Amino acid sequence: MNMEISALMDGELLEDESEKLLDHIGRVDEGRKDWEMYHLIGDVLHQPDHIHCDLSAKVRVRLQDEPVVFAPRKRGGNHKFSAVALSAAASLAAVGMVVWMSQQIGSEAFPQMAMQQNLLHPANVKIQSKSNDYLMAHQEFSPSTDMNGGASYIRMVNYESEGR
Amino acid sequence: MADREIDQQLVERVQRGDKHAFELLVSKYQRKLGRLISRFVKDSADAEDVTQEAFIKAYRALPGFRGESAFYTWLYRIGINTAKNYLLANKRRPPSSTPFDSNESESFEDASLLREVNTPENELMSKQVVDVVQTSLLQLPEDLRSALTLREIEGLSYEEIAVVMNCPIGTVRSRIFRAREAVAENLRPLLETSKGNRW
Repeated sequence: MNMEISALMDGELLEDESEKLLDHIGRVDEGRKDWEMYHLIGDVLHQPDHIHCDLSAKVRVRLQDEPVVFAPRKRGGNHKFSAVALSAAASLAAVGMVVWMSQQIGSEAFPQMAMQQNLLHPANVKIQSKSNDYLMAHQEFSPSTDMNGGASYIRMVNYESEGR
Repeated sequence: MADREIDQQLVERVQRGDKHAFELLVSKYQRKLGRLISRFVKDSADAEDVTQEAFIKAYRALPGFRGESAFYTWLYRIGINTAKNYLLANKRRPPSSTPFDSNESESFEDASLLREVNTPENELMSKQVVDVVQTSLLQLPEDLRSALTLREIEGLSYEEIAVVMNCPIGTVRSRIFRAREAVAENLRPLLETSKGNRW
């Protein structure tokens, strides 16, 4: 285990290995002591003129009075990833909505209209003369006309001026 | 994993409520931060207090640390600001025997309680620690000494050391560990006999 601690402080372990080892060091007192010892050796080799007694014990005492801190789990490098993931999800949702709407419209409204149109056959019915007035009055509701409403009342008129 | 990533891992652990992870960061950076602060605060006992205070401030501020800069640069910035605040407070302090009054102690609550003047015993201890490490290093077999020196003093990676020493990376890893353990074996009796085991 000590060899792993030595490699960890040199930055030579993989992320999952270091996570496990940090768990161990946090739990086991011996692991923490080895961590402190190896760092002390490194500091002595780096800066032998500035070696003082261990502050970690004192800081540990003061930390006992400090509330536990919590922060959102975010990494600086993941902001871009989050933005891309969110925009991709939004795009997918939008595409899904469009597809769903087109399916709803395609499978219900349009086929019904199409079916209705398929079912329409010119009826070979003799229309009595007394029915003409009725049909004329209601021709705007006839399925044979594309234009309903006021369009049926439009009449083409022309006239000649007297001067000509 | 780079050194900065290990710090980030420890920071995230602290941010999830793990105080022990912060203690590991303190072990790692206490002397580097102490050295930096001692450039501002000349008195070694005061510098030690300021260093402690800087760590506590860093702990309180850690929820806001997002990893946009390296942890140690962020920590050093806190250390410098704490040292400057200390110097400002020190100038305003009336020449009395009271270390801090209520207003000035904003950044230094409890500091006077934990303050310990560098005693001759502590200074002697420091020298002994340095002597033991340096002597132990000289007594190591050459391959172990070279591996540890290339790593600790030259800052080479295992891969680079493997190239320099013409050996596999696994061997480098083993040599550095064995070198550290050999030095640690000589240090442990000294540190365990020190009062309160504060080394």
